[in-house]
Amino acid sequence: MNTDELIDRLSRDLTVVKPLSVPGVRTVLWLAWAAMYLVAVPAVIFATRPTAGVTATPLFLLQQGAALVTGLLAARAALASVIPGASRRAWVPPAIGVTMWVASLLSAVVPDLRAFGTLAFTSERDWPCVASIAMGGIVLGLPLILMVRRGAPLTPRATAGLAGLAALSVANMEACLTRPHAIVLTVLLWHGGTIAIVAALCAMLGRRWLRWPPHESMPDAGGL
Amino acid sequence: MDDAPATDEHLSRLMARAQQGDNEAYVTLLRTLAPWIRRTVRGRRGFLGDQDVEDVVQDALLSIHTVRATYDPARPLMPWLSAIVRHRLADAGRRHVRHTAHEVHVDDLDVTFQSATANGCEETSGDPEALARAIQALPRRQREAVELLKLRELSLKEASAATGTTVGALKVATHRAMMSLHRMLRGIAEG
Repeated sequence: MNTDELIDRLSRDLTVVKPLSVPGVRTVLWLAWAAMYLVAVPAVIFATRPTAGVTATPLFLLQQGAALVTGLLAARAALASVIPGASRRAWVPPAIGVTMWVASLLSAVVPDLRAFGTLAFTSERDWPCVASIAMGGIVLGLPLILMVRRGAPLTPRATAGLAGLAALSVANMEACLTRPHAIVLTVLLWHGGTIAIVAALCAMLGRRWLRWPPHESMPDAGGL
Repeated sequence: MDDAPATDEHLSRLMARAQQGDNEAYVTLLRTLAPWIRRTVRGRRGFLGDQDVEDVVQDALLSIHTVRATYDPARPLMPWLSAIVRHRLADAGRRHVRHTAHEVHVDDLDVTFQSATANGCEETSGDPEALARAIQALPRRQREAVELLKLRELSLKEASAATGTTVGALKVATHRAMMSLHRMLRGIAEG
């Protein structure tokens, strides 16, 4: 088929499309879903296990704030990365968020190492949190992947990696809120390791999840 | 990228109208963009042949079509368009490298086997002109299916997107086309 025929065909089958909302608005929508998750899951856990929960020290709040900011910025960056012509430096804000988060964890790790020495590395195993973060990542990441699939798969690996990071950061908050940890190094190693591995896995699968779709499968209406 | 095909404002208006379902505006837009995309592809991928260039142009047009909902009419069109073309060019470059990496150049030797009987010329690769004529003689749907799937080597999904028919219908058309071609070419060979 020559190009003129293709143009005729594409225009003949033209349907009305509503432009996607800007990434900021779509991020807020995803965040609303994430907030529901963050309220509902701990509420169920607290109801079944009254002893669950943590003491909200300023450092703990700072760590959770940094995780939330990372999730928010990563979600926005993922949603912006599927808009052609959007800034190519969308990954910078999430990188700043991750740095803040790791710095806040490291500042608490130093006293732990002084107190426990190398025992801090091995004294706690955290498989329940690994499972919780992975499950939460699926619940929170699936809608985000569906949202980015409505855009252009320009950088599928980066987009999927950022979406994974966003979902896992928020899932990590739920794990931190409902399971107390005696040593912050456990959070850095087990939570951080889980997030890094699963987000990298998402990035590797990006090309499978995000492809240029055949034109008739694109949404015809609905702006989100 | 290279010089824009027309004023951005004009193109933005056309795209905004296309998003509302205006076919005429869409045809005008795509016909304006196609030569610019072609020039850009030729400028950046000088090593591609004419057919490969046209494939990239069509890829870019299909991509523009599928993600037209991502264009925000409040913003200029050219950065949006350039990003799509740039990425499709990169994809085409990767495809080209993949294909050429698997190509093996073999010297055109007169004798290929020691045994003389194995070097007979009875088996020919066929008459390309007869094949071209036979393809042209096929019904329209079958001809399109052969052109897209066998000659341009599009995937079933891509061919389905380009023709607006289902994958199943394409498979049936291809099967019938291959049977017809086989019959026609055998008829020619037998005189």
